[in-house]
Amino acid sequence: MARSWDGGRQEVAVGPDRWNPFGRIAEFSERRHWAWFLLLPCVLIVALIVIYPTFYGITLSFREMRLTRPGLGTGFVGLKHYLAILQDGTFWLSVRNTLAYTSLAIVLELSLGLASALALNQRLPGLRFLGVVILLPWFLPNVVAGNMWALMLDPRLGVINDLLVRAGILDGYRAWFADPATALIAAVVVEAWHGFPFFTLLLLAALKGVPDELHQSAAVDGATVVDRFWHVTLPMLKMVIVAAVVLRVISIVNSPDLLLILTNGGPANSTMVLSLYAFQTAYRAFDFGYAGALSVVMLLLLMLFCFLYVRASNIMANS
Amino acid sequence: MIVGSRRSRRIWAVVTYATILFFLLFTTLPLVWLVLTSVKPETDIVTAAGVKYWPSSFTFEHYVNIWWQSGFAVLVLNSAKTTAMTILICLVAGSLGAYAFSRFRFPGRKEMLLGLLVVRMFPAVVKIIPLFIIMRGLGLLDSSFGLALAYSSFLLPLFVWIMKGFFDALPDDLEEAARIDGCTRLGAMVRIVLPLARNGLVATTVFVAIGAWNEFLFALMLTTSQGSRTWPVGLQLMIGEFQLPWGMLAAGGVISIIPVVVLFAFIQRVLVSGLTTGAVKG
Repeated sequence: MARSWDGGRQEVAVGPDRWNPFGRIAEFSERRHWAWFLLLPCVLIVALIVIYPTFYGITLSFREMRLTRPGLGTGFVGLKHYLAILQDGTFWLSVRNTLAYTSLAIVLELSLGLASALALNQRLPGLRFLGVVILLPWFLPNVVAGNMWALMLDPRLGVINDLLVRAGILDGYRAWFADPATALIAAVVVEAWHGFPFFTLLLLAALKGVPDELHQSAAVDGATVVDRFWHVTLPMLKMVIVAAVVLRVISIVNSPDLLLILTNGGPANSTMVLSLYAFQTAYRAFDFGYAGALSVVMLLLLMLFCFLYVRASNIMANS
Repeated sequence: MIVGSRRSRRIWAVVTYATILFFLLFTTLPLVWLVLTSVKPETDIVTAAGVKYWPSSFTFEHYVNIWWQSGFAVLVLNSAKTTAMTILICLVAGSLGAYAFSRFRFPGRKEMLLGLLVVRMFPAVVKIIPLFIIMRGLGLLDSSFGLALAYSSFLLPLFVWIMKGFFDALPDDLEEAARIDGCTRLGAMVRIVLPLARNGLVATTVFVAIGAWNEFLFALMLTTSQGSRTWPVGLQLMIGEFQLPWGMLAAGGVISIIPVVVLFAFIQRVLVSGLTTGAVKG
């Protein structure tokens, strides 16, 4: 409902002090370029630190750039890096790990988020305050979340080992992050702890939008609680779940932070994911060209996933 | 929504509280353990036999050690500086931009709004390498301002989107009335809209502040010395290089999340009101 873009008055009387700079800006605000003037800082910054670097990054993937070997120059090498990626065993391993890590984390986070949102949506005393506490992990820094869990999962001093041994589940302490068989799973648990409130937040907002009458009339018709969940609640949540999963997949795939802190990709690359591999190639090996190509491939895979996923969920919704 | 007989209602109330209790323990116990570890004497952390759950005595030596001996104070100060600059950039550029997106219709508006959303999808690594090269060229590498600029690359689009939602929620009539009374567009914006959007501005700024305070990846790549290094990078490097004792690590963790928890408590009302009205805007 905004006013038309060039419909403002062209002339206006300003106060007596014409040289007051605010007066000048106020006068300028009546002109038709005002909206562009307001946008200018924002557009300029985004162009400079987002759009330009992104295109620069993409062109880097077609060039040679190794800070450790400046003798190689920064010439154009065409598809060299992309062809090298196809032969790169670590790349394929990290694709597999990314798939496993992301899908496990999403399943866990969605389940935790759905359970907590359903519980918080009940009209019972005290839930509003408690709900706020449950959201807290989402706002905590990766570095603290990661190291806190590393402390609890420590092979010698970890409290989780101690609890599991006391409960009779384990025979002895385990080195969760040093064992290729458990490192990925342990990292997924930490990721889920940190990320599930994102689903709680979005699903709870969606649940508030389900009208009570729907539940009441379904209950009058004799539907059980489980029936109502499947036939009333879940269909109303479908679109939000689809959107939340896409957003969360994007952020998990793109951010290597937690694995960088917990395992650094090890042991034996068993937790090496694509984003971490690309970051390490840039940060440790300073091979910017190859790292650029890796991140472009990651972006393409992510876009492909989003496209297929949104299409599949549309088909499911229509059928 | 709980409906049905009194008995099934009571059962579901119990199930609900049990679920909530599980989530409360799941989210808070790790934090409790972190705080406990930070006040335990070293002999209670590294024990010969078994884990010691309750400290035999309370000590603040880990806090004193990390703050004064490991230079955590400098790291925290650097983080505060970077966060303040990020807030300033987002507040000025972001609120003006969000206001324009909310109140004016101009060619390319939709595409630009969508673009701000799409750029958030790009991997950080794609931007990090060019930003490293650009910042090095401009002499902004290893500076708080350069880092704040880098943070704005993902926090500014977020700020614009959330703030646009808050501006959209304010009716146009207010400005119309002000303009009929002789206010200029600038006057209507500064005197009428911005004060009314104050709560939204505060909440959005808090989001940006927490994001900048917590950020790890960009800071790791773009800072190289004590001069601008932020606390997440500093803490992580201490762990890697000096085998930081767990007690000091826990103390550093507690210190660094205090501002986050305070800010979180500050915005929780906005979060909750967003939840209860069932409308997440932005």
